[in-house]
Amino acid sequence: MDIYLPIAEVSVNAPLLVALGALVGFISGLFGIGGGFLMTPVLVFLGIPPAVAVASMSNHVAASSMSSVISYSRRRSVDFRMGAVLAGGGVIGAILGVELFRWLRLLGQADLVVALSYLVFLGVIGGLMLSESLGAILRRRRGEPPPARRDRRPPWLYGLPLKMRFPRSRLFISVIPPILLGAFVGILSAIMGVGGGFILVPAMIYVLRMPANVVVGTSLLQIIVTTALTGVLQAGRNQTVDIVLATLLLAGGVLGAQFGARASSRFRAEELRAVLALIVLLVGLRMGLGLFVRPEDPFVLMSGLGG
Amino acid sequence: MIPAASPPPAVQAQAAVSAALTETNVQVNSGFRGARIVLYGAVFDPLDRPSDVVVIVRGPEQPVRIARKTRILGLWMNSRPVVFQGAPGFYIAASSRPLDEIAGFAELRRLGAGVDHLAIHAPAEQRVETRYGIRDMVVSRLGSDYLDWRRAVVRLKEKGGLYAVDERGVRFVDKGLFRAEIALPAEAPIGEYQARIVLFQEGRPVSAKLRTLTVAKVGAERGLYLWAHHRPWSYGLAAMAFALAAGWAASRVFRRD
Repeated sequence: MDIYLPIAEVSVNAPLLVALGALVGFISGLFGIGGGFLMTPVLVFLGIPPAVAVASMSNHVAASSMSSVISYSRRRSVDFRMGAVLAGGGVIGAILGVELFRWLRLLGQADLVVALSYLVFLGVIGGLMLSESLGAILRRRRGEPPPARRDRRPPWLYGLPLKMRFPRSRLFISVIPPILLGAFVGILSAIMGVGGGFILVPAMIYVLRMPANVVVGTSLLQIIVTTALTGVLQAGRNQTVDIVLATLLLAGGVLGAQFGARASSRFRAEELRAVLALIVLLVGLRMGLGLFVRPEDPFVLMSGLGG
Repeated sequence: MIPAASPPPAVQAQAAVSAALTETNVQVNSGFRGARIVLYGAVFDPLDRPSDVVVIVRGPEQPVRIARKTRILGLWMNSRPVVFQGAPGFYIAASSRPLDEIAGFAELRRLGAGVDHLAIHAPAEQRVETRYGIRDMVVSRLGSDYLDWRRAVVRLKEKGGLYAVDERGVRFVDKGLFRAEIALPAEAPIGEYQARIVLFQEGRPVSAKLRTLTVAKVGAERGLYLWAHHRPWSYGLAAMAFALAAGWAASRVFRRD
């Protein structure tokens, strides 16, 4: 059953998109990520113009994150105060990111920056997560005790001004690192068509040293705010949000996210992280591959004129 | 003016062509998967000279941005994009014989018949300068690669199913009566299309007709498209509100306690 998308102006298979939405939604709920880094490349592969795919993803990611953040907040695993601070940075980042993306498209370098961002960020994060989680799994198998958690947090986190108390995360730190982190993720969200959970979650664990149980829910909260803003900005500035595409994806996505959020409590955290790391690494390498392989046709048509 | 089917006597009889599209409005709705447009026409020639018919269908003009990938530091990067003007969003040249057998280079170029004869150019890359002592020469900054760029535009559009040359697209079904079928892909742009039907005799165009075809979105597709383009901010806000509400509703439905 094919359906014509009014903004993307292409005809796509509707059940396929719903199924894709459900699959990515499941992964999203399971790992507490938006899932955009998986979905955007697949949509482009299916023939949807990249600008429309990136922009419509914001709506889909916001919807599926919304549906899973509520499940997390019922389990009291959302630090609303930290989420608000991160989201404040995310708002700045999203505005910068949408403008940066417009400028890159004018220069014709949007493809390059998108591919490089995927390669570098997904590659590094995936690699680090994989080695860390595999280490944890091996130690558990051998029955070794987990390495004593170094509670000495990086001193620069504490030397900065504007300290704030985050009771649910049991932290008393400066708001500058979370704001910067939020802004950085906001920029990536606009450029890569992702929520940014794959960067937020590890950064919250390893840099901000937040307790693992509130990390996922809190990152979802930040993702909702950032992607909601990105989606509105993309629609307003670039007219690239396809509501029909977003609706098809989120029909599957919200259902998938529910099952994913439920399934997540059945697995060990480090095993989940290892699987996620593998997916992240593979997607990053796949997207970056195009930069190194001789293209079939040396010329490419760029969609859209003037941004 | 409808040309006279029978020529005035005594004077050298002039051949004429006439044609009609079976459909002049293509409606793009949610089930749109492309369309087939059938064109019927007739050649009126009292002297029955050998005739060839060329049908050229052009979609609305759409500037093309194209970049070339070059290897820099081991990475394949896009060059600065080049904008070509004058490119139709859809183009097909259907004919009763291969175009180069029907007419010469000059005639084909003048009519823009065939993808090689499309009048596309990159004005931003052109400058006027004096070369070899000749003033006001138009030179392209793309230099000798210019043709490669131009050919790439056509090649990529052909790959996308938007440009085509159909050497046997016009078939004579009866004496003087011909038929052509134009396949419009789902990706074809929205807007006014022009079908130019040209009758050739002895390599020269002797009669031509122009027919228009409208491809328009209808129903919900049209409403959404207009909303998104005319009031983008309210569209964006509504789309996001809808997405968030759907997410919230799903979590209510799935609440277990």
